[in-house]
Amino acid sequence: MTNIIILLKRQLRAYFHTPIAYVVMVVFLVVSGLSFCRPLVQHLGEQIGIGQLLFSAPYFWVAVLAAIALITMPLFAEERRTGTLEMLLTAPVTDLQVVLGKYAGALVFFLLLTMPTAAYFILLKVLASGMATLDFAPIVTGYLILWLIGSCFIAIGVFVSALTRSQVVAAIGCFIAVSILFFMDTARLALPGAAAQEVLAYLSSTQHIRDFAQGIVDTRPIVLYLSLAVFFVFATVKVIEARQWK
Amino acid sequence: MIKVEHVTKRFASAKAVDNISFEVLRGEIVGFLGPNGAGKTTLMRLLATYLAPTQGRILIDGRDVFLHSLDARRRIGYLPENAPLYPEMRVDEYLSFRAKLKGMPRRKCRERMEEMKVLCGLKDVERRIIGQLSKGYGQRLALADSLIHSPELLILDEPTLGLDPNQIRAVRELIRTLGRRFTVVLATHSLAEAEAICQRVFIMNHGRIVASDSPERLMLQLQGNASVAVEIAGPPDEVAERLRRVSGVLRVLPVEPEIGGPESGSAQWRRYRLECQPGADIRPAVFGIAAAQGWPLRELSRETLDLEDVFIKLTASAGRGQVHD
Repeated sequence: MTNIIILLKRQLRAYFHTPIAYVVMVVFLVVSGLSFCRPLVQHLGEQIGIGQLLFSAPYFWVAVLAAIALITMPLFAEERRTGTLEMLLTAPVTDLQVVLGKYAGALVFFLLLTMPTAAYFILLKVLASGMATLDFAPIVTGYLILWLIGSCFIAIGVFVSALTRSQVVAAIGCFIAVSILFFMDTARLALPGAAAQEVLAYLSSTQHIRDFAQGIVDTRPIVLYLSLAVFFVFATVKVIEARQWK
Repeated sequence: MIKVEHVTKRFASAKAVDNISFEVLRGEIVGFLGPNGAGKTTLMRLLATYLAPTQGRILIDGRDVFLHSLDARRRIGYLPENAPLYPEMRVDEYLSFRAKLKGMPRRKCRERMEEMKVLCGLKDVERRIIGQLSKGYGQRLALADSLIHSPELLILDEPTLGLDPNQIRAVRELIRTLGRRFTVVLATHSLAEAEAICQRVFIMNHGRIVASDSPERLMLQLQGNASVAVEIAGPPDEVAERLRRVSGVLRVLPVEPEIGGPESGSAQWRRYRLECQPGADIRPAVFGIAAAQGWPLRELSRETLDLEDVFIKLTASAGRGQVHD
């Protein structure tokens, strides 16, 4: 455990030593700020669910996916390219600890990235004093699904990064992979057969977000995202171990 | 300390290490020497547990490094080729990260880091960012990192690559000093380095060990006919004739004459190479002749084949063998 924390700290420090982290943060906050404001302005004077404000804006989620691709791309690809992976993997730490350390580093960065958006809701509460009572439950569940999806997609990004030594390939690969997962339900219309459509509806992230943003907590997506995260962490460990046998 | 038993490492295209067996004793400094692509780096990676052997096993103190990988890594200090480092970190930061990762207790960490910085000459760059350091400092930092957890075994892959001559000398001196306390295995393609540091040298080519011995003995083994260089001033024909008659001399080869000579005589300095029978030392006899004839003698030395020649001979012949296979 101490090893994982040591690796996590180094990973976080590495993020904040590079300009890309700040660029990602700024762009992400601008996009999510707009995603928050737009429905607010559009539905001026109408009654809307609080969860609709941030979590149902498609731009916000595209920004999330892009941010995840950028956060995870250097994790293994960069270390492989510069050769520091050799230093890391010959230190007395297990491959699992290395993978978990990096995964946790990316996850913590993701939390730091998304946490400031909570200020929008607080600001709304402070500024719009005349507004009807603000229901906090959909906000909490909204963040829950955001971090669940984040933890799963980051695991996918870590996995893709372990496959290549090019950061660009890792970023593009990750973005494509998580986009397919995320926007899977758009393929629903093209698929024949009710069964296939129903399966896609269960897997579709947009469907999950719609539920959670209304304050409905469904355990099925929670299990889905967490088990996918575990699977991809495990797969990454296997990819790292495979160096020994290649 | 290390025992390597019939280790083969096969990559998709070729065998990088082919059925190698050897043993290294505690406190020895052993060098692996070979041209590029001989399999040195792969062997170092196998020893450092970065790669697993396709066949065979590697034992450190009788324990398989692959099965007890973490235990082995705690005892090994490994310096990979090109000394990879995190460019965005500071020297102090990096050392403390590595020390913690290698399980050093926090209190001992500080003390040990100071020790390593002094030993490796990093004191004046401790606050600098690694990416801005010169190659030499990077190499020294990586070396400090490999030593920080007081390993028993040091595995160094090209420890002086990319350093300037002064730094090379300093690093070699450091390794020699370390060799008194640690077991050192190093890979290099510099013969001078192997000759200067190692007590035992393995010469590798095409993934195999083609020769192994102390540097001196390796040279002796392959020396063949020894030769002696003589520089003498005297009547050329007579000198050559006399030298030819010395017992043990096979041939006398005059080397190009030099301008100028001793003030007293008309004779000029001339240089000869005497090829002798193996094992014969003809130098006293040559001196005797010069003294008896009153010919000034200004050089009399045995020409030794250096490791470079041995290396070329061995790797070239092994290369030919490979072609015939």
